[in-house]
Amino acid sequence: MTHFRFFSGKGGVGKTSMACTTAVHHADSGRRTLIVTTDPASNLGDVFAQPIGHAITPITGVPNLFAMEIDADQATQEYIDHAMAPIRAAFPPQIVAVMEEQMSGPCTAEVAAFDRFTDFIDVPSDGGGAFDVVIFDTAPTGHTLRLIALPVEWTRSIDAAEQGSGQTCIGPTAAIQDAKHKYERAVAIMRDPAATTFTFVLQPEATSLRETRRAMGELHTLGITSQDLIVNAVIPAAEAANPLFAARRAMQQDYLAQIAHALPLPTQQMPLLSGEITGVERLRAVAGLLFAGDATDPLTPALSQGARVSDLSSPAGRGAGGEDSNNDLAAILPRLLPDAGRRTIFFAGKGGVGKTVASCVTAVWLARQGFRTLLLTTDPAAHLGDVLGVPVGDSVAPVPGVPNLSATKIDPQAAGAAYKARILADARARGRSAESIAVMQEELDSPCTEEIAAFDLFIDYAAQDAWDVIVFDTAPTGHTLRMLELPMDWSQQLDVKVFASVDGAAADDVAKARFAGVIAMMRDPRQSTFAFVLYPEATPILEAARAVEELATLGLRPGLVVANYVLPVDADATPFGRARRAMQARYLAELPVRFAAPVLRIPLLTHEVQGLDVLTALGAQLYGYVEVPQ
Amino acid sequence: MSTISLLDTRPAAPAQADVAFYDPPMCCPTGLCGPALDQTLLDTNELVLDLKARGLHVERYQMIGSPQAFLANPEVMRLVRALNMAALPITAVRGVVIRSGAYPTRAEVEAALDGGAA
Repeated sequence: MTHFRFFSGKGGVGKTSMACTTAVHHADSGRRTLIVTTDPASNLGDVFAQPIGHAITPITGVPNLFAMEIDADQATQEYIDHAMAPIRAAFPPQIVAVMEEQMSGPCTAEVAAFDRFTDFIDVPSDGGGAFDVVIFDTAPTGHTLRLIALPVEWTRSIDAAEQGSGQTCIGPTAAIQDAKHKYERAVAIMRDPAATTFTFVLQPEATSLRETRRAMGELHTLGITSQDLIVNAVIPAAEAANPLFAARRAMQQDYLAQIAHALPLPTQQMPLLSGEITGVERLRAVAGLLFAGDATDPLTPALSQGARVSDLSSPAGRGAGGEDSNNDLAAILPRLLPDAGRRTIFFAGKGGVGKTVASCVTAVWLARQGFRTLLLTTDPAAHLGDVLGVPVGDSVAPVPGVPNLSATKIDPQAAGAAYKARILADARARGRSAESIAVMQEELDSPCTEEIAAFDLFIDYAAQDAWDVIVFDTAPTGHTLRMLELPMDWSQQLDVKVFASVDGAAADDVAKARFAGVIAMMRDPRQSTFAFVLYPEATPILEAARAVEELATLGLRPGLVVANYVLPVDADATPFGRARRAMQARYLAELPVRFAAPVLRIPLLTHEVQGLDVLTALGAQLYGYVEVPQ
Repeated sequence: MSTISLLDTRPAAPAQADVAFYDPPMCCPTGLCGPALDQTLLDTNELVLDLKARGLHVERYQMIGSPQAFLANPEVMRLVRALNMAALPITAVRGVVIRSGAYPTRAEVEAALDGGAA
């Protein structure tokens, strides 16, 4: 029987590396192994140092190993073309255009991705027989959960649709009906501990621990219980010689104890390596470490210093990293300070890159400069309150200790529930029948409701005049993009709504005007700044570049790049630290060219950023002080 | 694979619906995810439930999921080609179009059903 292994975790925790390492280990143990990525920022080709692509590809030098990258864009386009073919053939152009708009909505990409994904659960074979192990290097946490939650929600939506109006959120109803058995089978396999293991990759720090806990809880509620852990990037004991790493190692040891206590699951540890994991030989060495050794093994530092020593002497490896405090404020500050009226700053990036810290530091600093500042998050995994060190609730409230600063969070689940309650109360007040209410109740459980409700709240805040600056600690990239795409798609869809109801039409006009205003605001660089947060390594940069590309299709451009966790010069105290700093320097050097925006560097600190004092001090270090006309 | 092809030559609907609604495209279930609750859609949804409870065969079609249902009714296609989106929604009782551009009232549907039976 085929065993399925799903790797889950935030972008940049080392999920792909650990999935590939595990795949090499299984293949070398004589099991026919397939590794599949559904991650849009997939880099399996980089890890194995050979081209892979949209087909099952044998890995050179590992006889039992095969790999495939599912191209999310291609899968979506194929899905759309397939569904649109009959429409294009028979209907007038105006109708075809409307249908295409509908198919370009946020649901379609997920349907297409999930469809491809269930194909692998059903037919894990390359023609030469079934695989013993199929490893999914899945997309990062939020997206992964959604992907996994979808079949359950869909099953419910489909059932509701059958009893009810015959419509679902997903567009082509017939398509879902057809695929229903596939999705049910996928869910059943995920729930079977004999068939499936979920491996969570995390790092020994607060955000990662919190998000892993949350993700595990969500899987449990979906009936998926077979879980284990890989704790990655554990600083080796020998690096205690380096003061910078010694402090971080102490912090990590503390979190390792917390992880052992809070997440009592089979756990593997992986030491922080000085270079990236690429090529089969290095993967084998790392697999030895992951499956045979442990992080305190005295051999660890020797291995971790293995690769890319030559980078140390390269000119690029020197200069850039040493300039970590020399931020070009003349270029950066105009992107943060209000210019024409109010400024709205969106921090975008995958979970774990330090988006919340970047937004908190910036908001506290702006408030300290005298700007009336609202800090808010739409991230379901929001931990604004933890970073600020004060509670942040569902309604706007001043942050004690920082004049001019207020904060709140938009909880999509709560927003969705409130929205649903409002709709149903209205229907009851109008004397709708119990059957009718029941149908509405089911259909409002669609995956779209929460996002729309959350976005609706966001627009409320965006329309308020009480602020000079609004800082958004946005949701992880994929989610953010759908949220941002929503108003554009929505206003297009409103154009085609031809519902006869008078108050419905009037309300649509109001909504349309609201959306138009928000879209214009987001596109105006004097009013809005999109700041992409990443850290100087391959995966986070690729993910950010992809997000930038998608935003560009909506007419939105990056205003700022925030490079987080930049190693200071002190890291050079040991060869390990020097090697990592050289690696970062190469990536830092490519940022300004790649993104065509000023780069703000935030140094790696020995402690976590928490509390208003720390935020205030870091803000002053990063941004200095400017004269503000009052 | 998972979508309906026009080239599929099997006969379309096995039996003609007593009442068929050719709906406009909607972003979400019954359009309820929109910014405003649409009372007409709810009325229509209740009408559908009532008609079904009486044992009548009721169908709702959207172009993206059921293009062949549109194509199977020449009058529906004539309206769609002539008026584009403005033609929708279209309601047909036993194959005969009774309303285009708006949902019918309950009385209109009942009258057509009575007329058809007489």
